[in-house]
Amino acid sequence: MPIRRDQNAASSVDDGARPPLVPADAGARDPVVTASSLTKRYGELVAVDELTFSLRPGTITGFLGPNGAGKTTTLRLLLGLAEPTAGEALVFGRRYRELDDPVRRVGAVLESSDFHPGRSGRDHLRVLALAAEILSSRVEEVLELVELDSAADRRVKTYSLGMRQRLGLAAALLGDPELLVLDEPANGLDPAGVHWLRRFLRRYAEQGRTVLVSSHMLAEVAQTVDQVVIINRGRRVASGRLDQLTGRGKTLEDAYLELTAREAS
Amino acid sequence: MTAQLRSELLKQRSTRTNLGLLLAMLGLVLLAVLLHGFGLPAENVDSTSEQLTMVVGWGEKLGAVFAGLLGAMSITSEIRHGTIRPTFLVSPQRARVLAAKVLASMFFGAGVGLIATALAVGVGRAALGARGIESQLDGGAYALFLAGGTAAAALWAAIGVGLGAVVRNQVPTLIGICVWLLFVEGLLVGDLIGAVGDVGRFAPGAAAAAISGQDPDKLVAPAVGLVLLALYAAAAALAGSLATARRDVV
Repeated sequence: MPIRRDQNAASSVDDGARPPLVPADAGARDPVVTASSLTKRYGELVAVDELTFSLRPGTITGFLGPNGAGKTTTLRLLLGLAEPTAGEALVFGRRYRELDDPVRRVGAVLESSDFHPGRSGRDHLRVLALAAEILSSRVEEVLELVELDSAADRRVKTYSLGMRQRLGLAAALLGDPELLVLDEPANGLDPAGVHWLRRFLRRYAEQGRTVLVSSHMLAEVAQTVDQVVIINRGRRVASGRLDQLTGRGKTLEDAYLELTAREAS
Repeated sequence: MTAQLRSELLKQRSTRTNLGLLLAMLGLVLLAVLLHGFGLPAENVDSTSEQLTMVVGWGEKLGAVFAGLLGAMSITSEIRHGTIRPTFLVSPQRARVLAAKVLASMFFGAGVGLIATALAVGVGRAALGARGIESQLDGGAYALFLAGGTAAAALWAAIGVGLGAVVRNQVPTLIGICVWLLFVEGLLVGDLIGAVGDVGRFAPGAAAAAISGQDPDKLVAPAVGLVLLALYAAAAALAGSLATARRDVV
């Protein structure tokens, strides 16, 4: 299959064909996320098929694929919400459900609508902070960070989609985690919101932290991420640094369409 | 576990769900007790057992129903609105989340039961008094009724959590609890005699009624009812916990 795979050792997406290159000196460079032959079947349907990849700290990775490619399922397997049929998904070398203090390691936003419509934004965060034993002062901090402090006492049903996205992000940031997992975070954001999110994710990664973001918005992804993992029908079709997939007049969109179309035919 | 419990208590306080349930229940208790207090022939409500079972007993029955709904909604509402995802991301030990939901719901359920039985006692006495029917209930009977109604509602809240965790879909769960307590059990215990009625008194709604001293001729003794309902609650909570631990969250 003539798909160009990432063979560059400097890249922080390890190809599944080879063992991850872990430098002998630093534990800090251990993969933050590891999926090994990750497989999820729902009856006959194979949602995720022998998916293998790993992510290094300090990177922003775009997780791309058509609708139904298995992106969301993969994220749920990674976060312990669903159990793999075979293989494993690890964060910081352990299964999510075995992490001692998951909120301080991993923050995630899976759906833009995971709120009780009748609860205020502040109470939504307080509920989660109480369960994670996080101080209420941190709730105020994240509300300011996502610029929702003035709307915090309103019920979530009065929020716009962009405000809900930011509230979800605030919840993910409560524990000041090392890894952020975001499923379609730019949906519903206006251009200013998208710009804000991009700058935020950049600063986040510059602190040595890691971001895994699934998205359909390829133009936006191309501006934000360092590297991509592209899947189609549950299988990885390409992964690597953005500049390895694009260039010579080829955009990420060209590369993506080529890769996902080839796999489908 | 304390952290999860605090979180669950705030969850239930921070929406209007419980308040809405409470108001609906108060309206129904008022209606049911007034209708039966004024509507039943005088000769059917002149004994201790009849007054307790036919008139003020509605407070216990509706308290148990609404506590069950409150418990069920503590989990089905999270599944419906998707908040179950952040909840399980923060607390991946799902059994702890379920246990905290059971305790928080029992706390609010007990409050619901106490308010329902207290209202029923007040309205029932007033209704019978207005018809010149002498109250046959003494302080001990009232105390048992209030304490029993409170305990029954708390345990039904736990049953609701377990049932909601197993069924997951909100509407069928809520309809199931209402239909069972208000209709099916009435048939099992009330009108059928013989073998079905003998078994029916061990059903969870009949056990709940027994705790508060209702219908002592048909139902089991209050202490037996309490133990029986506690076993139902434990079984439901355990089933809910096992179901939640195994299933994927989609």
